[in-house]
Amino acid sequence: MEVKITRKGNETTVFFIGRLDTPASQEVAKELQPVLENASDTIILDCKDLMYISSSGLRIFLSVRKEAAIKGGKVIVRDINDNIRSVFMMTGFLNLFVIE
Amino acid sequence: MKANPQANNFKHKSRWTGMLVLVVAALTLEATALIQFHYSRKGIREEASKRAESQLENTKVQVLDILNQAENAVRNNIWLARLCLTTPDTLPRVTEHIVRENPVVIGSTVALLPDYNIKLGLLSPYSFKDPLTGQIISKSLATEEYDYPSQEWFLNGLEHEDGFWSEPYIDTGGGDMVMTTFSMPVKDPSGKTAAVITADISLDWLTDLVGSSPVYPNAYNMIFSRSGKIMVCPVESLVMRNTFHEVAGQFEDTAAIASLDRSMFSGETGSVTIRRKRALSRVYYAPIERAGWYMSVVIPDKQIFSEIRKVNSFVNLLQAIGILMLFLILRNAARNQKRYNKLTENKDRMENELRIARDIQMSMIPKVFPPFPERDDLDISAILVPAREVGGDLYDFFIRDEKLFFCIGDVSGKGVPASLVMAVTRSLFRTISAREESPGRIVSTLNDSMVEMNESNMFVTFFCGILDLATGRMRFCNAGHNAPMTLTDAKRKLDVVPNLPLGIIPRMEFQEQEIAMGYDDVLFLYTDGLTEAENAGHELFGETRMANVLSTRRDSRGHLLALEQAVADFVKDAPRSDDLTMLLIHYVKKSPMFHARHIVLKNDIQQIPFLNDLIHEIAEKINLDESLAMGINLALEEAVTNVMMYAYPEGVEGEVKVDAFASDKSLKFIISDRGKEFDPTAKPEPDITLKAEDRPIGGLGIHLVRKIMDSVSYKRVDGKNMLTMIKNI
Repeated sequence: MEVKITRKGNETTVFFIGRLDTPASQEVAKELQPVLENASDTIILDCKDLMYISSSGLRIFLSVRKEAAIKGGKVIVRDINDNIRSVFMMTGFLNLFVIE
Repeated sequence: MKANPQANNFKHKSRWTGMLVLVVAALTLEATALIQFHYSRKGIREEASKRAESQLENTKVQVLDILNQAENAVRNNIWLARLCLTTPDTLPRVTEHIVRENPVVIGSTVALLPDYNIKLGLLSPYSFKDPLTGQIISKSLATEEYDYPSQEWFLNGLEHEDGFWSEPYIDTGGGDMVMTTFSMPVKDPSGKTAAVITADISLDWLTDLVGSSPVYPNAYNMIFSRSGKIMVCPVESLVMRNTFHEVAGQFEDTAAIASLDRSMFSGETGSVTIRRKRALSRVYYAPIERAGWYMSVVIPDKQIFSEIRKVNSFVNLLQAIGILMLFLILRNAARNQKRYNKLTENKDRMENELRIARDIQMSMIPKVFPPFPERDDLDISAILVPAREVGGDLYDFFIRDEKLFFCIGDVSGKGVPASLVMAVTRSLFRTISAREESPGRIVSTLNDSMVEMNESNMFVTFFCGILDLATGRMRFCNAGHNAPMTLTDAKRKLDVVPNLPLGIIPRMEFQEQEIAMGYDDVLFLYTDGLTEAENAGHELFGETRMANVLSTRRDSRGHLLALEQAVADFVKDAPRSDDLTMLLIHYVKKSPMFHARHIVLKNDIQQIPFLNDLIHEIAEKINLDESLAMGINLALEEAVTNVMMYAYPEGVEGEVKVDAFASDKSLKFIISDRGKEFDPTAKPEPDITLKAEDRPIGGLGIHLVRKIMDSVSYKRVDGKNMLTMIKNI
């Protein structure tokens, strides 16, 4: 699992590459701490290369979304594949995020 | 084993009860006898009183009869005597006539008043019967030495117009004869008393009269004269010599004697009890007024009650015999009780040993149900109810290499011998079937071993089957046992070759058979203790009743409990004659499923990626769609993570085992661990419609498992958490 974070203007983009399973989520949660500081801006969660997500991964998505809600920012989930979309559907996450 | 304290207690109790029974019986008998004695006494006393009174009455009548004869002799001749007054020398004719004509009169005189005729002076011709010759002799009483005018009979005769009986006296003239004299006045035609006329009678007959028929053997009569002189008395020396008062002085019971004296001599009729030297006597008395006599009958109480005493001693003897017999019976009962208690002790010990034997026997057969909780293709239940503490029935089953080995058997006979054969049979079955996979060979081998050691000529009916759980192929071999039933569709008996029971003929070939068991097939095996259960009317439970109970759809346990209940209701209180054993196998044939793989993980999150490898392997093996594989992977990861996070406490090492089964229609995973009891399916569903701000962070894992899998179930078995997840594909 790999996470890439880029910042362009008011937009922070997080690229998830690989499988966001339980052990991976523990690492990723740490790496995303700085991103939460920019939650007042726009955060794009890029899922083009996210192959798999477990409930602990979903938790990371939810915590970003909560932080943005508090700070008045915006969270966009981009390019989720069908498998992950179905997981989002099963958990009601489709209604929580703007999906592009 | 120690003596049963209850039995001991009972022993004491029964001894006291025995004593109590004896005492109560004796008291009851004695009370009855006393009451009876009391009432008898009263009756007997009344009877005695009646007898005495009637005797007194009789005596009086007879005495008066004689006295009347004498009185009449006098009265009838008064006119003659009056006539003769003028010719005094004819007076002896009158007296002679009286004596001659009246047998009771032994002497008679007409005595002139001294001053009646100065010329004549004293004149008293006296005629009497010579006691020896019976000749009538006349003489004159007008002698100087006799001086008749001063005699009692003369004086009293003058005074009593109606006549008077003298005091009895002993006649010294003509032999020692007790006599009494009736005398009455004779008046001349002018009405002046001129003479006294008399008649003497002997009283010798009196003793004979009253003594001839005593009312009781030792009763006696006494007659007293006006002055109390004893006229009749059993003691002859007292007669005419002593008086009542002289004799009465000997009695210490002065009050009673005084009462008797007063009442009797004032002419009353009655009775009184007198004590003399501690002996009580009843005295009945009555007067003979005419003669001035007082009669009495004396009856000793001893005599009155001699009969009742006899009866009473007889009753007492009977009572004693009764009590003795009761005592013997009770003692015998007590001995029997002792013997019984000893038997009970032995029985208790044997029962205890049999209880242990029963526990051992029961531990030889599988009796935890469901026996294979992790299997959803098999629902097995069995019941064994021995008629006695231990029985000769058996059943057994186990799974080896995805094959269910099972058997049911019935040893001929019952009780301990049968139970030993049962134990041997079951052990041999386990030993042989550990290496054999053919029911025919298992049964043949079993038979040979049994024949070899069958010295007690017991045999075993036996049915053995092997069900291939993957394919539903069921091979079986019967050895004389009743045919099992198949409950699928038509309830019918399995078509089995009977063969012979085990233990009869060595090296016998047992024919093996085969059927295919399909989806939802049920096989029901039983011993004849079911169909031949007998009620008090010797009716058999029978196959119809059995089939009726089985016609309702239930799970295996439900079927057997319903049958057991039906048999109990049918048999009621009738003693169980045979062991009752039932084995029911409900087979749910799945499309063939194989145990694909299993992995054991440590309770460490870092091991989670191994699950991905497992799913990959399976997916490749059964050609699983990639997105399905990911979903299954997710569910598996969530379930395993749950265990790692919650089943084991922080810092405690543990294992999580994942068993994967696969068929072309479904996948099954069983996640098991030895952590604390933890049922993830009990968690409430999260609300996934909430806004992001309101959504809690956790709770999604088990939700995903439920969403992805078709079936999720949790069991706690043998200290293990077992989560079974099935995904249809």
